[in-house]
Amino acid sequence: MGKAQRVLALGLAGVASVALAACGTAGSSGGTNAANVSSSHVSGAPSWCGKKKIVFGLADGFGDNNWRKITVGEARAEAALCPSITKFVYTDGQGNTQEAISQIHSDVANGVNALVVFPDAGKAVLPAITQAYKAGVVTVPYRVFPGGKAGVNYDAYISTNFAQAGQLWGDWLDKALKCKGNVINLGGPPANTQSLAEYQGLKKATAKCPGIHIIGQTPYYVTNWDPAQTQKVITAVLAKYPDINAITTDFGSALASSASAFTQAGRKIPAVATEDSNQLSCQRQKDVKSDPQFQLFTVDSQNWMVRTAVDYAVAKATGGKLPSSTVVPQKPFENSLTGKPHNVECDPSMPPDAILSSHLSHAAQLKALGQTGFKG
Amino acid sequence: MSADDPIANRPTRTPEPETAAATLQSRVRLSGASLPIIAATIALFVVSAVFEPDSVRHSAILGMLPLAAVLAILAMGQTLVIQQGGIDLSVPGMVSLTLVLVTHYPGGNSGRLAVAIILAFVATIAAGLLSGFIISYVRVTPIVATLGMNAVLYGFVLQISGGNPTSTTNALSDFAGGRVAGIPTAVIIAVVLAGITALIIKRTVAGRRFEAVGSSLLGARAAGVEARRYQLAAYACAGCLYCAGAVLLGGILGTPNLFQGDSYLLPSVAAVVLGGTSLLGGRGSVIATAVAALFISQLDQFVLVLGASNGVQNLVDAGALGAGLAIYSVPWRRLRGRERDMKAAGHSGPVGPDQNPSGPTHAPDAVDAGTTVTSGSHK
Repeated sequence: MGKAQRVLALGLAGVASVALAACGTAGSSGGTNAANVSSSHVSGAPSWCGKKKIVFGLADGFGDNNWRKITVGEARAEAALCPSITKFVYTDGQGNTQEAISQIHSDVANGVNALVVFPDAGKAVLPAITQAYKAGVVTVPYRVFPGGKAGVNYDAYISTNFAQAGQLWGDWLDKALKCKGNVINLGGPPANTQSLAEYQGLKKATAKCPGIHIIGQTPYYVTNWDPAQTQKVITAVLAKYPDINAITTDFGSALASSASAFTQAGRKIPAVATEDSNQLSCQRQKDVKSDPQFQLFTVDSQNWMVRTAVDYAVAKATGGKLPSSTVVPQKPFENSLTGKPHNVECDPSMPPDAILSSHLSHAAQLKALGQTGFKG
Repeated sequence: MSADDPIANRPTRTPEPETAAATLQSRVRLSGASLPIIAATIALFVVSAVFEPDSVRHSAILGMLPLAAVLAILAMGQTLVIQQGGIDLSVPGMVSLTLVLVTHYPGGNSGRLAVAIILAFVATIAAGLLSGFIISYVRVTPIVATLGMNAVLYGFVLQISGGNPTSTTNALSDFAGGRVAGIPTAVIIAVVLAGITALIIKRTVAGRRFEAVGSSLLGARAAGVEARRYQLAAYACAGCLYCAGAVLLGGILGTPNLFQGDSYLLPSVAAVVLGGTSLLGGRGSVIATAVAALFISQLDQFVLVLGASNGVQNLVDAGALGAGLAIYSVPWRRLRGRERDMKAAGHSGPVGPDQNPSGPTHAPDAVDAGTTVTSGSHK
């Protein structure tokens, strides 16, 4: 092949690849096909379910834990309420940023009209989200902030305030500890925004009681949400501090796995404030007689948060009624002191990693977890 | 026979009286490489007792020992592989697969636990055999082969678990978390496994051949040893040990994470290195590795109780590993010998041929001054 021919071939290849890339991002700008003024909805279906037929997509950054599986179950259940959704497409980025980005691109290419995204990689997936939005897909990230702005990079961001969770814990501790005691705070990986926000809320709420001290490492002991690391931390903490009156953590299951560390140290589990976990609740029910100080307060794990994101995305794409708020509140779930809104809920027929605050029925939750039941 | 007969008059060596230390060493069969880590571990406990007595309290030790025992067992498997000049990057997959099998298969039913454990051993030994075969017979490098095996094992982990971690049975929790005569069961199992492994390697013919293959492949082949068989056996036996450690871990943790094994790869290699086994293969001691696992676990506990941040904990781990590598890798004796030789020859430091200041390379000052004055004036 002569030099001129080689240059021509390279030039054609370059033009072809640019054209292909442009095809992936071409289309009308800024979600105009979603601005349907008449908010009429399908009769018999919720008000957010408009009449226009759409394909719905859920792009998960990481799908492989119980919380995610149950959340997908909730999303499917919510989508099933709207007959305008002709297809439900679920993709899993498997914790890999590049994979998550390409899944979003493929959703757009496959004709998804409304896309809910869990942006685990944060700002790293913002360009992909923005491209989907500019391609005319109604794009709604939720729970983890991807950066950017609603109306510029995506339609709306469905958020929750983790500091509020910490505040609920703190308010309960003020009552449970009668304004006096030492609290240990466990968190996830280092510099994790959720754990940091929870600590801020906890600090603010316990500031009302000068007798309550958050001891040990602040903002939190790093556990990476790993039961082995949690056990090491608990062992060290029990060795160092003879007086621990409460433990707050954002991963209750790992604490339940560390119950043996307490037994080894000859100590009883103190008051615990966390997100709900069937395993922890069942542990508490088991210990309630021998360990009366093991009071339990949990906030809702919010698997149903995805329903708000689904409602918003589908409403905007089908012409239905938008939800009134894009902020989902933190709510208490179990309170062993007052029994409101629920007393400690343990279901031994459900697996330990079941999340009872989910709005799914037990059977639906088992199906979402891919399990047939737990013999206990 | 005359006085000039060299053979008759050759100096005879009088046998040296056996020192107490030599007797102890030969009886206990400790290789010289074990002594530094044993000394370091004792020193660490002394330092812990002095600076942070809470870290060596009875309850703290009891809490630390079970996970230390698990690390010891996993690291012993890694020792076998490293002794053969290889490395096993499939530790995370082996541990995670075992955990998934002993949690998901029984589904909480203690009656199915025995079958689950047997399945786990079959799976890990089969995986080890396959890795070993690919490495010793097909001659793929260990890093590549075991990395690939790890990916395959992770695939099985996801397939079997469906992405959900779950709890193990009460039977396993009670067993693994229990105590016999006040000593945690996990520790007893680790000690027994270490003893059996060390005995097989040091006292049986097969074990000695195994060490010979690791020390010198060509030498062992020349002596008629079927080297590939021993390399294969290393990976299979390692798989067996990983499974044993992981079964215990499942009982200790109750509800392990899906990829719980991830956090054990680097510590397993660190324990092997700190125990004195060279990463290039050769002599090693599973007992030294087990002691190193205890060292690492107590070091982590000491730093945690001290209240240091997560960043400092990581730095301390890295520092310990670096120090261990330096102690075993830097040829201290050779360096000291070289220094002694140089002092004896009358030089204070290294010398080269260009150190004579009055040689012809020195340029006269006048020419230098002239050139610097004129160089910058043309704008």
